[in-house]
Parts: sequence; structure tokens; C-alpha cells
Amino acid sequence: MSQLLQQLVLGLLLGGVYVSVALGFSLVWGILNIVNLAHGAFVIIGAYVTWVLFSRLGVDPFLSLPVDAVVLFALGYGLQRGLINRVIRAPLLFTFLLTFGINLVIVSLLLLIFSPDFRSVTPSYSGSGLSLGSVTIPYIGLARLGVAMLLALVLWFVLNRTRIGAGIQAVGADRDAAQLVGIDLRHVYALTFAIGAAFAGVAGGLIGLQQSITPTAGDPFTLQSFAVVILGGLGRVSATIAGGLLFGLIQVLGLNAPGLGAGYSNAIAFAVLVVVLAFRPQGLLGRLA
Amino acid sequence: MSQLAVRGVSKRFGGVAALTEVTFSVEPGEIFGIIGPNGAGKTTLLNCISGLYGTDAGEIRWEDRSVAGLPAHRIARLGIGRTFQIVRPFGSMTVRENAATGALFGQPSGRLQPRQALAYADTVLDLVGLAAKRDYPVRRLTVPDRKRLEVARALAMRPRLLLLDEVMAGLNPVEIEQALDMVRQVNRQGVTIVLIEHVMRVIVGVCTRALVLNFGRPLTEGKPEVVLRDPRVIEAYLGERYARGTNTEEGPPPAPNG
Amino acid sequence: MTKPFRPPATALRRLFLGGAAVVLLYVLLAPLSSTDAGQQLGLPFLTDRLWFRVATTVAMFVVLASAWNIIGGLTGYASFGNVAFFGLGAYTTGVLVSLRQWPFVLALLLAPVVPALFALVIGVPLLRLHGHYFAVASLGVGVAVGEVVNNLQPLGASTGLFLPIVRSNLLFFYLMLAAAALAVLVTWVILHTRFGYGLLAIRENEEAAAVIGVNTTFYKVAALMIAAALTGLAGGIFAQWNTFINQENVFPIEYNVEMILMAVLGGAGTLLGPVAGAVTLELVILRLAGGGAAAAYSQIGLGVLLAVTVIFLPRGVIDFFGGQSRLSLGALRRSLRETSV
Repeated sequence: MSQLLQQLVLGLLLGGVYVSVALGFSLVWGILNIVNLAHGAFVIIGAYVTWVLFSRLGVDPFLSLPVDAVVLFALGYGLQRGLINRVIRAPLLFTFLLTFGINLVIVSLLLLIFSPDFRSVTPSYSGSGLSLGSVTIPYIGLARLGVAMLLALVLWFVLNRTRIGAGIQAVGADRDAAQLVGIDLRHVYALTFAIGAAFAGVAGGLIGLQQSITPTAGDPFTLQSFAVVILGGLGRVSATIAGGLLFGLIQVLGLNAPGLGAGYSNAIAFAVLVVVLAFRPQGLLGRLA
Repeated sequence: MSQLAVRGVSKRFGGVAALTEVTFSVEPGEIFGIIGPNGAGKTTLLNCISGLYGTDAGEIRWEDRSVAGLPAHRIARLGIGRTFQIVRPFGSMTVRENAATGALFGQPSGRLQPRQALAYADTVLDLVGLAAKRDYPVRRLTVPDRKRLEVARALAMRPRLLLLDEVMAGLNPVEIEQALDMVRQVNRQGVTIVLIEHVMRVIVGVCTRALVLNFGRPLTEGKPEVVLRDPRVIEAYLGERYARGTNTEEGPPPAPNG
Repeated sequence: MTKPFRPPATALRRLFLGGAAVVLLYVLLAPLSSTDAGQQLGLPFLTDRLWFRVATTVAMFVVLASAWNIIGGLTGYASFGNVAFFGLGAYTTGVLVSLRQWPFVLALLLAPVVPALFALVIGVPLLRLHGHYFAVASLGVGVAVGEVVNNLQPLGASTGLFLPIVRSNLLFFYLMLAAAALAVLVTWVILHTRFGYGLLAIRENEEAAAVIGVNTTFYKVAALMIAAALTGLAGGIFAQWNTFINQENVFPIEYNVEMILMAVLGGAGTLLGPVAGAVTLELVILRLAGGGAAAAYSQIGLGVLLAVTVIFLPRGVIDFFGGQSRLSLGALRRSLRETSV
């Protein structure tokens, strides 16, 4: 029983990670209708930035998160404005191929710069946690969940309470109409993508605390983000939260189920995807995309 | 026995009742009109009949067999062809090939081979007046021509029932006359026609009977001249004031002021 | 009366096709120089092991790209997971030969069958999806199948499977070439029959196709099954040719994108486009792989190539996907008539 409780706790905490990873992905998909296959790469870049700051300059990982955000924001803006904007009106296949290509280039560059060696970020408070009876709640896990909720709050605030957020939502609703009222599409597109990338970067900074990072470690996050968005629904921050937390639970429970193991994480993500798409395509809280 | 019998058909989308208890029947050889203000559910009704939507209640019988719930391609092969309000040609094919697809897949009596279908397409293109543009890629066609192609493709299916969705929209008076002639000619060849229209001249000019839908419900049905004078119909389209006006002997009310 | 649309310059096309025919002839006959019979006639070695490796790999990608073209180019369902079929074909042959001691030829006959059955099962739900959902779901299939296979102990799990060594460059080259010819032939037949019209109609406008009588589910699934069978066949040949298979070499995710890029680069939806794209791109990839920090640089090259292709593709090919291109079925068939035997 307490094992189950422990798994539930871990599942929720893992869910926090998924929420933070999927927020940016969901934003870009919902507004720009781009499924960004390089999303995982953005996450890993964030992880590496944090790692570099931690291992070379001793910066606490949580403090390096803003740096992650800024780096990825700039990268995302440049990529969207320079490359992806050019295929936005082309059939979906092309944005897919392009973001896949971007992913290849980023991962390869990371391999050249950092080599495939595994790195991890282990600050002094790594192993400890809160003990409630027989259940341990790792501090880092809690902090990550907290950051994820904070990110979600920030995103919600930006989208719903700021002028630029209104612009972003307008573009997402009807891009031609948005142009007609004077919104600079290219800029807003780039901005939206940049925000999505920034969130991915912050999520990446948190990733290094829980797992070893290597350039190819980002790929599963893309598929998992897709599953989270499908599960929770597109179009609302709350949907991503719901999807992320639930997905975390499913992953932990699934991986600990008899007969399965760590190698099945992609298969589990995919199974979730298929089941949801078959029975409830709009997800838990979303509207049909 | 009516050729097409629609009884009590209802269709909901989430919380919206698009169609409620729609009932009417069409006799062989008729040209039956469906009219109503925007949003009345006319296209939804056509989608239900042609199998793109399922119904939530009611039955649809075609030539005395129940077709509600059948997939669209089965209904097509039973002899029902349709056009779309916003035309949907197959962009990478020529005019002739587009028309030929109707013959290839939709003919009830059997599976044609491409060569036969292309030959049949020629005859249909003659009928709608596109013969000269047989080899044009679709994107070179004007809007009226695309509508002609849409009809040609449906006709190539050798349908016994043709569902036309606002075929006249966007045509100028001359083009409307040509389209009316085409509709009459197709009907003379024995095809029953159900058409959705906003252009009243068409309804009066060519329909034997018409059904009026409003907010998904049938309002009234009958001969076009009668139906169009019905105050309830006028109220649905133009509002209460105009409806009150036509109840009297004096004709329409004076223009509203203020 | 305005002139009807004219097909592209025939002189240029004749030149291209002439050159291709010469290359094809060379490729067909040159290997014979390394046979005993050829040696007895005093022929010089026109081919060596590297030549065979390159040529067989190129032929393999011709199969993959042409097969993808059937579901992605003709039907308009751009699958990102066809590598699953490749791996399933490879493992079918691999398991039968390595664990059940079947003769290779027999095992190869089943290589198209298992992926096709899988395509039938997965296709019905999968092909109900559109756009992004279909693309990523198919990507998920490609990834998940590899992972599941990698975890199955009876199939060798992560150690992989070893097949008995069959030393014959000639055999595998001609086998793969035959598979490539088969793929092109199948595409040709599709384009000339009712089935092809149906697929194109589905691609251009699926609802319109349905209301004129196309059984869209049947056609889509059939297209996927055909693509799966051809892809699986290539996998089966690969398994014995390589004598070793594991998740990494028969379920590589990059293959998915490579086969799409080849078909798109060459001209998705056309007969010879995927062939041209496969030949060109695979030669480029193999060239890039020859370098030092090999893997990383070749991946960068591929990524850049993807970006360049996608952004700068001539309006024509993009229009083809959007359905307004000059590659109408009529022009297609005109060129088919010129290129067919």
C-alpha cells in the first residue's frame, strides 16, 4: 500500500516535469499549429546550459533557470523568424520535416560540443526529501513541481492578462483577421515560438536534476509532450496541467507494473496517445484542435 | 411509394440541435427545393442524406431501403450524387479526369475501367458545357465552370437522385439561366433533384415543391408560390414586420423609419 | 480558344531518361564482371565490395521511398513511421532463419506478409486521424514497435539476432534491385488503374471522394498495406544481407525522415520521383558518412538538406501537395507513356 502511495507521489512529481516540458509545446501547437519536433532539443539545450553554469561556475541550478529561458528565447525567435516562418503556409508535412531537420542539427551540434558522455547536475541537496510516514517526497521533486506550476501561472498570465498575450491569442484564433487589425504576424509568430522555446529551456534546466543528460536525451520528450497535449487537450493551460500530471502518474505506474520496464517508456507514451485519440480525441479538458 | 422519404430526422452537434424532426418525401422525377435562412440546417440535412453525417433520430429511406447510417460511399453507389456548396474538385487532375472519377466509382451498375470512365466523362462534360475545356487543369477554371464540373462529376455517377447545394450562389443572372437550363435538362433525363437554394427565382422557376427549414425544424412545405407567400416563411427570412405586412391586401408595409 | 496546358520540355526529359537508362544498364550488367564466367572472359573487375554495398543500399532506399510514396505521396497520408514495417520484415526473416532454421528464400517470402498484416491492424484506427495527429501517431508507431521488439527476449532483445553468413554480393544486390523494380512496377500499376484514381481522389479531397463512391477506409488501408509489404520485403533482404539485426539497425528513426525526404525531393506522387530522390540523397548521405566525426556531421548535413529542401522546393512540388500542380494525372500519364516499356 505504501508502495502504491510512494508511486502516486512520484507520479505527481514526475507529472510536474511533464507539465513544464509540455507547456511550451502546447503553446506552439495551439497558436501556430506547429508540432515542433525539435522541442526535445530545446529542452536538452536548457539542460546543458544549466549544467555548464553549475559545473563550471557553481551556479545553483534553480538560479540558472532564467538564463536558460533567455538563451532559448533568443534561439527560438531566430529560428522561427528566419526559417520556420517560411513554411508556415505550406502543408503540415513541411513544418514537420523542417523541425525534424532543426532537431537533427541541434542534437548533432550538441554531440560535437559536449560528446555523448552522460552528465548530471547534483547540487548538495539532491538526495534529501520530506518523510511522511513511509512515503518520501524528494525536495527536488517538490521544487520542480513548484516551478512547473509557476511556469503555468506565468503562461496563463501572459496569455490572458497582457497585451502581447491578446495578440498571440488573436493570431491563434484567426491569423488573417489578426493581420487585418494590424498585428505584425511574423513578429508575433516568432515571439510565440520563442516563448515556447524559453519554457522548454526552463524545463530542461530542471531535467538535469532528475536524470543524466546526453544530447539524444531530448527526443523522448517530444513524443511525451505530444502525448501530454493529446491527453489533456489543446488550447488551455489547465488542460496541459491535467495532462502532464496524469501522464506522470501513468508513466510511473506503468513502468512499475509487472512485465514492463524502463525500456517501455516510449511504448507507454504511444499507447496513451492511441487510446485517447481513439476514444476521446479532444482530451480531458481541451476542445478539438 | 416515394422515392426518397425522410421521417423525423434529428441531428445534434453537442448542445446545438441542427435538425429536429425533419420530415418530407420526394417523388420520382421531382425537382424538390429546400429553402430557409442561413443556419437553418439545409446543408446538414444534405450531409445526413448523403451519409457524411449520421443521424441521431429518424429514418431516411431511398427507393424503399433504409440508408441512414450507411457510409457515404455506399449511399453514393445506391444512386445518390451530390455537390458541395463550396466546390471540391480534385485539384491535381484535369477537368476530364475529375468528371471521370464520378463514373469510376459512383455508378451503381458496376466498376468501370479508367478508359471507359474517361469516355463517359466526355458525354457528361458535353451536357454541362465543359467539353471544350476537357484538358484544363482545374485551377484554370472560373467559378461558374467549377460549379459545372462539380455537377458533371456527380452526373457521371449516373445518379437517380442529385443533391445540389446552392449551385447558383455567386452566379450572375445570365449564368443562373444557363444553370437552370442545365438543371431542367438533367431532370428531363430522369434524375430526381433536391436542391438547396437562396435564389428565389430558381425555386419558383424550377421546383415542383419546396420545403422550408427554420432553426432545423420544418416550417412548411408545398408549391413554391404558396410557400413563399406563407407569412411564417416571410417572418423567418425577413422578420415580423414584413410578415404582418403581407397579411393585408395592401402589399408590403412602408419602409420603416427611425 | 486558349491553348490547353503544355507538359514540361520533352527534350530535357528525354535527355534525363536516356542518361538514366544508360546508368541502369551499367548497374545491371557491371556486377557480372565479378562472376567466374565474367572472369573467364577476361573482363576487368568493374565492381568491388564497396560498390556492391553502396549499390545495394541505394536500391534499398529506392524501395523504401517508393513504398512511402504510395501512402504518403499518392494517398496524401504522410506516415512518419514506415520504419516499423522495415524492422518487422527484417525480424520476420531474421527470426525464421536464425531461430527456426528456415531456408532464406522461404523466410523472405513471409517478410512482406507480417508487416502488411500489422498495417491492416494498425491502419484502420490510425488512418482515421488526419494532419498532425496522423503524423505523430505514425511516428509513435515507428518508435514503439522498435522498442517493443527490443524488449522481447525470444527475439533476442537488445542483443539482436545473428543470421548464418551468406557470402554473395551478387545475390543480395540483384535481390534488392528486383525489389526496387517491383516497387516501381507496383506504383506504375496503381497509377494506371482505378485504384490510383481513388488514392489521388482521397488525397485531394477525402469527403468528395467518399460521396462519389470511393470506399476511403478500404483504399487507405490497402495503400498502407502495400507500402508495408514492399518496405518489409526490403527489410527481409537486409536481414540476411547484413547477417545481424537489432533495434538500432532495423528500426532507425532517421530512416523515416530519409525516405520521406527522398520521395519529396524527387517528387512525391510521381512514379520516378522517389527513385531519383533515393538515388541522389542516399549517395549524398553515404558520402557524408565517410568523413571523420562521421555521424554528427552527416546528421547536420541531413538536417540542413531537409531545411533547404523544404524551404526552397520549387513552387511546383509544394503545389503538388496542395493539389494545384502541373503534375496532373494527365501529364503524369503522358510522361509515363514516354518512360514505360
